[in-house]
Order: sequence, then structure tokens, then C-alpha cells
Amino acid sequence: MRKTISYVLVTAGALVMLVPFVAALSNSLKSFAQYIQVPPSWIPDPVHWDNYAEVWRRTPFGLYLTNSLVIAALAVAGNVLTSAMVGHALARMRLPGRDALLTMALGTMMLPTVITIVPNFLLFRSLGWLDTLLPLIAPYWLATPIGIFLMRQTFLGIPKDFEEAASLDGANPWQVFWRIHLPLAKPALATLAVFTFTTSWKAVLEPTIYLTSPEHYTLPVGVLSLKGQFVGNDQLVTAAAMMSLLPMLVVFVLAQRYFVRGTMSAGLKG
Amino acid sequence: MTVLTRKAGKVAADPRPSSGRRHAGERAWAFAFASPYLLHLVALAAWPLLASLFFSMTDYDLVSPPKFVGFGNFTRLFGDEVFWRTLGNTAYFAVLFVPTQTVLALGLAIALNQRLRGMALFRAAYFVPVVSSWVVVAYVADAVFNPQTGLANQVLGFLGLPSENWLQDPALVIPTLAAVAVWKGVGYMMVLFLAGLQAIPEERYEAAKIDGASAWNRFRYITLPGISGTTFLVLVLTSIETLQSFEQVFVMTDGGPHGASELTVLHLYRQGFQFFQMGYASAIAWVLFVLVLALTLVQFRLQRRWVHYA
Repeated sequence: MRKTISYVLVTAGALVMLVPFVAALSNSLKSFAQYIQVPPSWIPDPVHWDNYAEVWRRTPFGLYLTNSLVIAALAVAGNVLTSAMVGHALARMRLPGRDALLTMALGTMMLPTVITIVPNFLLFRSLGWLDTLLPLIAPYWLATPIGIFLMRQTFLGIPKDFEEAASLDGANPWQVFWRIHLPLAKPALATLAVFTFTTSWKAVLEPTIYLTSPEHYTLPVGVLSLKGQFVGNDQLVTAAAMMSLLPMLVVFVLAQRYFVRGTMSAGLKG
Repeated sequence: MTVLTRKAGKVAADPRPSSGRRHAGERAWAFAFASPYLLHLVALAAWPLLASLFFSMTDYDLVSPPKFVGFGNFTRLFGDEVFWRTLGNTAYFAVLFVPTQTVLALGLAIALNQRLRGMALFRAAYFVPVVSSWVVVAYVADAVFNPQTGLANQVLGFLGLPSENWLQDPALVIPTLAAVAVWKGVGYMMVLFLAGLQAIPEERYEAAKIDGASAWNRFRYITLPGISGTTFLVLVLTSIETLQSFEQVFVMTDGGPHGASELTVLHLYRQGFQFFQMGYASAIAWVLFVLVLALTLVQFRLQRRWVHYA
């Protein structure tokens, strides 16, 4: 009985989650006339696949996609590497002031973004990085608090025997980290990678502030700018938005367990 | 969080015999490993805090050098009607959004925690909006809340109710935005709650059942205290995030209609990046920062009254 109620509740909820996506997908396959037709039709007839081709023809969509991919790839590489390094220092190395650093990491995790918007803009401006992809990549190369916590927890759980054996064989700390600890931490690295990818892929505020030339736009900013180009033809912008979601969906489907695992470990921190 | 620091203390106290020289070498390595975060603390934490405080006391238009004006920006801010209105809008949005999302996420987590078949599939369905950018969500929401062609008005029409203007109605825009935000965020919170629920030992429920406790009492006296730590985390995180909400209104309404959905960070963005008043924008940032901090501290204080760490 209770299970039946749960099923009904959960299924209804899942429909509420997914039906709007289906409706948007349907919108993206309509001609302008079909798009503004009242009452609207659920399944466009005929299906207007050409919207997707038209977005590619008339906009630098490929460029937006490339920019987003380049930024996401470099953000993932940077955050995974540096967060693992710092997490390793906090978990396995004799770092003076280690506890203070851990407390500060907690503090920065709670630091509201709002306080960083103007100063970071001024910082990147003085570095001459405005309207380049660098402000969207570089911060990830300085480790993130969440990444540090995740990696520190993981490295704490790895037995000491491995590194002791390696040290006796004359391996230096970098070799211990790179050859022994990192391979053992693969699931956590994957979790951090998918989270970083998502954060970078979804970002709207930072690219809006830092990028001015269309050839540097990422997908969210690029798609948003199409609103001006396709005045009123929102079925085309919807098609572009759907395409911008696709790479994210692929990552999500392939790495679903890491998303759940990561979210859960974030929750257990409390 | 208490768990983390306690563990840190334990690890720090492992004395290993080694010569002074080897010690120094180890330290150098440790600093090298930690260096990205040391740089992070300087460039991405200390600098923003100090710089925004400094700029909040200046007039700075990016062209001429910053001019010191003392508390001028703050005086202006307290007389700025738009600022107060955005603060009111933000509070209204938060009051609608935070409790709704928390209650729904908990309800879904409890339902999903019963080892339902196809649970992974359901969880995935709730996570799709979480991984979507606000730009995607804006067009998905348009398919629902477009006054002419959207699903919502079709449903209302089907029920014989009059159509609404949703995002174009000054009275409905914030409730509609809050509904969309719940739709987007509930899956993430649900997974957080699921983790909390799964940490409650099964035996507690069995013992209560043997004692004849009703389903409601089991929920009230086992589930709720058992997940109070998670609930606390969820509330702190969402409040911090909600007070700084920007992307959703920037993409979906641009503050409209007639400023009815203008939130404080959108006001900050406009002052800073459209009117280039960096000093004034920094003052807005600091006031909001203090508000966020105060709210977080209040929540940490109140936590003692209702959060049980088992």
C-alpha cells in the first residue's frame, strides 16, 4: 500500500520533471507559424527538423560549442589535478598549519560569490584577461574547496603501507602521489570531474561578465545572444538551447553514478 | 563539519621519527602540493574581501582612478528605493522557494527510499533539470508558462479556469520564478536527503514498530531527528544561494515586468557592469554579504535547538 502511494507520487513527480523538456523539444521542431499557433499542437506536423540545421547555418554555434568544450576540459583538468594535490597535502603530508588551512577552506566554501564579482573582474582586467577564456579557466587551477574536501577524505582512506613501501624504494613525494595515490582515488577523481564539468558548462554569470566578442562566447551566453538575432523566432532559440544541453546529457547518462555519489558525499559532510 | 576537523586533529598527531633535514624537505614538498590553494586564498578569497571593502568606499568608473568617498555609497544605498525593492523581492522569493523546495525534496526522498524498482531511473529524471543551465531552463519554462502557447494555461483552460500571464504578471512573476527554481533544484536536494535517510539505522524503525509506534510517530521521532543534520545543511546552502540568486532572473525576466522580479544581485550587476559604478556595486555586495553572513550565523545558532547529531 505504502509502496503504491510512493510509486504514484514519484511517477507524478518524474512526469512534472520531464514533460516540460518534451514540450520544449516539441517547440524546437515547429515552424514559426506552428510555434505561435493557439491552441498549440503537441506534435508538430510536419516536424520541422530544419530548425536545428538553421541554427548551425546562421549562427557560430560550432564556435560556442568549441569554447564551452575547451573551457570545461581545462577546468576539469585543473580542478582535478590541483584539488587532488592540496587534498593530498592535507591528508598525507607534514604541512605546518594544516588544520588552520582546513578551517579556511571551510570558510571559503561559504564565501558568497556576490563579494567576488567586482574584485575578480578588476583582477582579470588588470591581468589583461578580459574577453579571453582565461578567467573562466584559471580559477579552477587554484583548487576548489569542495574538491579539496572530497580528495582529502579519499586520501585519508588509503592505507599507508603502499607509500611506505614506495618511499623505501626511493620514490619522492610526487611519485608517491602520482603513481600510487592518484590511481587508487579514481572514483573520487571521476566524481570531481563530472561536478566540475557541470559547473563550468552551466555558468552564465562569469561568461556574461568576462566575454564581449561573440567569437569567445560559451554556449549559454551564445544561445542567449540568439534571442536578439532571431527576434521573435523563439523556436530557433529553443532548438539552440536543446542542442546546448545535449553534451551535458551525454556526460550525465555516462557518469550518473558519480553524480549521485558526489552529491551524497557532499551531504554527509554536514 | 565537526567530523572533518576532529579527523584532522587525529592525523596531525602522528609522530614519525626523522632527521631534521628530511623534515625540511618534506615540508617543502607539502607546501608545493598545497601551493594552488595558498594562491587561491590570496587571489580568490583575501583579495575580493579586501578589495570590495576598499572599492565600496570609492567612486570608480574603470576609466579615472578610484576616488575615496568614505561611506557615501552606503548613504546613497540606504536611500536607494530600487535597492530596498530588490531586497524585498529577494526575501519574497526566498520565503516561497526555500521551504517549498525543502519539503518537496524530503517527501520525494522518503518515497524513493523504499527501495522502489527503477529507483535509479526516477533519480535520473529528477536530476536532468539540475544539470541544465538556466538558459536551457528558460526555454523549457517558456514551453510551460508562455501565456499564449504554454502548457500551464492549457491545463487551467482544461479545468475551466481563466488563463494567467505568469512571468508577465507583476503579482505572479516571483511565485512563478520560485516554482521554476523548485523544479530545477529539488532533485539535488532530494539526493542530499536520500543520503541522510540512508544513514539512519534500520533497527531504530524495527524497534519502534515492535513498540507499536504509528507511521507518523516513527516519522516524527526517528526520521525527522535522524535527518536534522542534512536538513540544516540544505537550509544553510539554499539560503546562501537564494539571497545571491542572479542567473535565473537575468535569463528569464531581466527583472521585469516593471522591476517586479529585480533581485539584489541583478541590481548589483546593472550598477557595476552596465553603468560602471564599481564602487556602488561593491557597496551593494558588502551589504548583501553581511546579510548572508548574519543569516548563516543565526542558522548556526538556532541549530543547537533542533539539530541532533547521532
